[in-house]
Amino acid sequence: MKKVITGDHAVAIGAKLSRADVVPAYPITPQTLIIEHIADFVNDGEMDAKFLTMESEHSVMSAAAAASAAGARVFTATSSQGLAFMYEMLYATAPLRLPVVMVNANRTLTAPPGIWCEYNDSMGVRDSGWLQVYVEDNQEALDMVIQSYRIAEDKRVLLPVMPCIDGFVLTHTVEPVEVPQQQDVDSFLPPYTPDIILDPERPAMIGTLMPAEYIMEMRRQTADAFESAKKVIQEVNDEFAKKLGRNYGGMIDTYRMEDAEAALITIGTVTSTSREVVDDLRKAGKKVGIVKLRFFRPFPSEELRKVLSGVSAVGVFDRSISYHGGGPAYNEVRSTLYGLMIPVINHLAGIGGRDVTKEQIVKMFDLTLKAAKGEKVKEIYWHNTRGETV
Amino acid sequence: MFEVRFHGRGGQGAVMAAQTLAEAAVIEGNYAVAFPFFGAERRGAPVLAFTRIDAKKIYSKTQVYAPDCVVVLDDSLLDTIDVVAGLKPDGMVVINSKEKPQDIDLGKEIKTAAVDATSVALEILKAPITNTAILGAFAKAAGLIRIESLEEAIKRRFGEKLGEKVGERNAMAARTAYEKTVIGKSKGIKKLESRKQWLPAYQELPVGGALFEGKTEAGLIGPGSFIENKVSGWATFRPLRDKEKCTMCLLCWFYCPEGTIVRISDRGDLMTNYDYCKGCGICANECPVDAIKMVRARV
Amino acid sequence: MKLKDLPDDNLFTAGHTACPGCGAAMSIRNAIRILGKDTVVYVPASCAVVFGTTFPYGAWKVPFFHTAFENTGACLTGMKAAFEKKGKNVTAVGFAGDGGTYDIGLQSMSGAAERNDDILYICLDNEAYMNTGIQRSGGTPFGAWTTTTPVGKEVQGNRRFKKNLADIVIAHEIPYYATLSIGHPMDFIRKVEKAMTIKGFRFLHMFTPCIPGWKMDPAKTVEVTKLAVESGMWTLYEVENGEKKITYKPGKMRRVRDYLMMQGRFRHMSEEDIKKLQMWVCRKWNLHYGEKGAPEVCEIAPPEEHHAVTEEHREMHGP
Repeated sequence: MKKVITGDHAVAIGAKLSRADVVPAYPITPQTLIIEHIADFVNDGEMDAKFLTMESEHSVMSAAAAASAAGARVFTATSSQGLAFMYEMLYATAPLRLPVVMVNANRTLTAPPGIWCEYNDSMGVRDSGWLQVYVEDNQEALDMVIQSYRIAEDKRVLLPVMPCIDGFVLTHTVEPVEVPQQQDVDSFLPPYTPDIILDPERPAMIGTLMPAEYIMEMRRQTADAFESAKKVIQEVNDEFAKKLGRNYGGMIDTYRMEDAEAALITIGTVTSTSREVVDDLRKAGKKVGIVKLRFFRPFPSEELRKVLSGVSAVGVFDRSISYHGGGPAYNEVRSTLYGLMIPVINHLAGIGGRDVTKEQIVKMFDLTLKAAKGEKVKEIYWHNTRGETV
Repeated sequence: MFEVRFHGRGGQGAVMAAQTLAEAAVIEGNYAVAFPFFGAERRGAPVLAFTRIDAKKIYSKTQVYAPDCVVVLDDSLLDTIDVVAGLKPDGMVVINSKEKPQDIDLGKEIKTAAVDATSVALEILKAPITNTAILGAFAKAAGLIRIESLEEAIKRRFGEKLGEKVGERNAMAARTAYEKTVIGKSKGIKKLESRKQWLPAYQELPVGGALFEGKTEAGLIGPGSFIENKVSGWATFRPLRDKEKCTMCLLCWFYCPEGTIVRISDRGDLMTNYDYCKGCGICANECPVDAIKMVRARV
Repeated sequence: MKLKDLPDDNLFTAGHTACPGCGAAMSIRNAIRILGKDTVVYVPASCAVVFGTTFPYGAWKVPFFHTAFENTGACLTGMKAAFEKKGKNVTAVGFAGDGGTYDIGLQSMSGAAERNDDILYICLDNEAYMNTGIQRSGGTPFGAWTTTTPVGKEVQGNRRFKKNLADIVIAHEIPYYATLSIGHPMDFIRKVEKAMTIKGFRFLHMFTPCIPGWKMDPAKTVEVTKLAVESGMWTLYEVENGEKKITYKPGKMRRVRDYLMMQGRFRHMSEEDIKKLQMWVCRKWNLHYGEKGAPEVCEIAPPEEHHAVTEEHREMHGP
């Protein structure tokens, strides 16, 4: 059934279709609509879940971790300050291997206070042990909630997943979304059956004090689960495509990369706009394409090296700054392409919710093409930033 | 470089001893560092501390693996810990013991200095805190630090923290132990077997470190497995119950923080499992008919 | 349940690594054997995590969970929701310290209390941050030495009176709040049992001496607890659906001095400070028992106020 709904609404429907058991919640713009919709579902009897109105995000993630450890499928959502407030608990959830799914509505992290889209909230927790996937439209937002449970709960993974959706650009924008049938989701996503839970029938201890003799192995084990996740993500993507009819590519997606000389690596909704830009540039005879960075953790190193091995230059879009100069995606991509001798340049744009226009994206491609031709360009560009020349 | 490893129990002041030794070395113009093994110490639990002494600046920030000297603040540790592990062949052991060196079995014949530091501490400090007394024995045995420097270091460190009087009393404990220390060679009869430890590879470590009740080569793990941890060595005193006087009021059974007083229900009696008695003395203090008295755990 | 009917089961086994004479270990061990097997435990960062579990060992024979310090209320809420969803009848119990309840965990506890979530919150109150090595918390009593309220040349010990946590908790209009003392076994057993039978947010406030933190003889844990009650430093009562009931009243009020002198943490206290604390206790006594404390204890001249508002101050700011 097609519905014209916001990204937040789509996410809420995704949680309902996934049959989440427990939803601890705390409001924050622009995530609020998600928990409001879920509250409606629960109070209307459409969703059989425990909806918990917590008193802070820290408590949200605490309740989420505890409910997950007690065997429940847990959903929640947050944004920005809320994610930052959870920081400690994000680090508790992942190594204990609790497959919570939490949507983050990307928003600038104070200071300065702002409520619009920026990735400095989720990028800041990229090493907390959560899988992160960035989506480009409301359909993908809904579908990735469902897929996230399959990935998170896979015994080879058992890690929490954070689908990230652009604040306002998706959360508060309506567009047509195909809402899957419950029976189709049920056939794709079986109930959660964990091996170890808090159960008096068979007592377990979870989260014990751990001496140095064991923590190194714990970390190694979690790192291993991230490796396994890459394979599982692809499997889940392919099965979803078969059963529900939409294929997102898995770790990455590409657009018109077949003979591209210059590639732009995009994240989130900028991918969507860039598709139109690429079409225009292709018409003008420019050989450009897009690589959509879907998963940021685990990072699609092998996939990128494969798909970028033929290009002459790579541009990387970042919506947040890592104060070593460029953005986090740039840093990772450059490290990934080490040894391939392909110039990599960084395009910082859209920070604080500033609109990323087609003109800016054209500029990003132009600069990347320049680099592809061997012309001298800067390493890092701040687009549409007063005082900067691009 | 001279490296010392201290074996003690939480509350005996092993860390303070290591620091005081370092201070004494510095007083004599050396460079020295002292550091604990950062465990999760509670009172009575085995702890480690280290001191490194050299004429020049010490850069090494690792633990000590091949000490020149091992200081044992509590000889009950010998039952569970291989205190001479890694000790250099020409190294020595300084131990708090009522016995003479030749009667102490360290599993290795090695230069050993013994002193009854517990008695010295009980007499002078009125508490079984043996760290300063044992340092006196160290000064005598190692010949590395003069007793005067040690007394000075003790007065400084303990005085600063706990007041001048405490500093002086502790210096006296060191001097007394220094005089009483007997140097000889230990026995090397018992086969040393350090407690087995379950050390799974990362692939075998349970997912997320979550544990059910289980058994490994090294013993029980998971819920309830702390019964593997015999804590009798923590005790300085232990309770003796007079069955004739006991009215089976069960207060001691309720109060015992360890759960080491158990009911033998078929005989309507109580039994104390000393494996788990830390010697706190609550049972004796609370017994309404004075049926329990505390006696020295090891004589 | 009578004392002799207590189960022999050690659901918190021997071999745990608490200090000799630990009041918290004593309280946990007895509480958990009354609560029984159908219990899941959450313990926030505290001694009880360390002495109760050190991987791969554990003393708990019921399911144990730990993540952080400030989230006992929220974690209990989460696990209880999961059990309810799965139709399992399990008691969700938290054992938090005073720091984890009075201070850093107050918000999370308050959230769970206000929602009246069906959980049992146990506060093991040893009146300071003992796990980190004896620092002042909101539960630290007036005058007490801690490493962050040292006995200095200018300032001696904690200058604030113990936070009135009870009234904060009770203000949430929860079904059950009770104070417990390990020195009063029958009262202890009855309150834990009662808390089990009530649905909704229940709070058991346990007074748990800490040997190294209070600087005292480990044999005196129970004795000092009894004296806390006899002197009025600790009061045994319960509040059920808003109805307050004193569950034990001392026959004769003991001087607070007798209680203080058992513990090294108070031994430095000046006469003036002891008087101040005694007056605070006498007020508390009056509030709880509805009668004045013993005249020989409470009818004392108030201590001279050194930090009183000066004339100059009054002139500037008014009385």
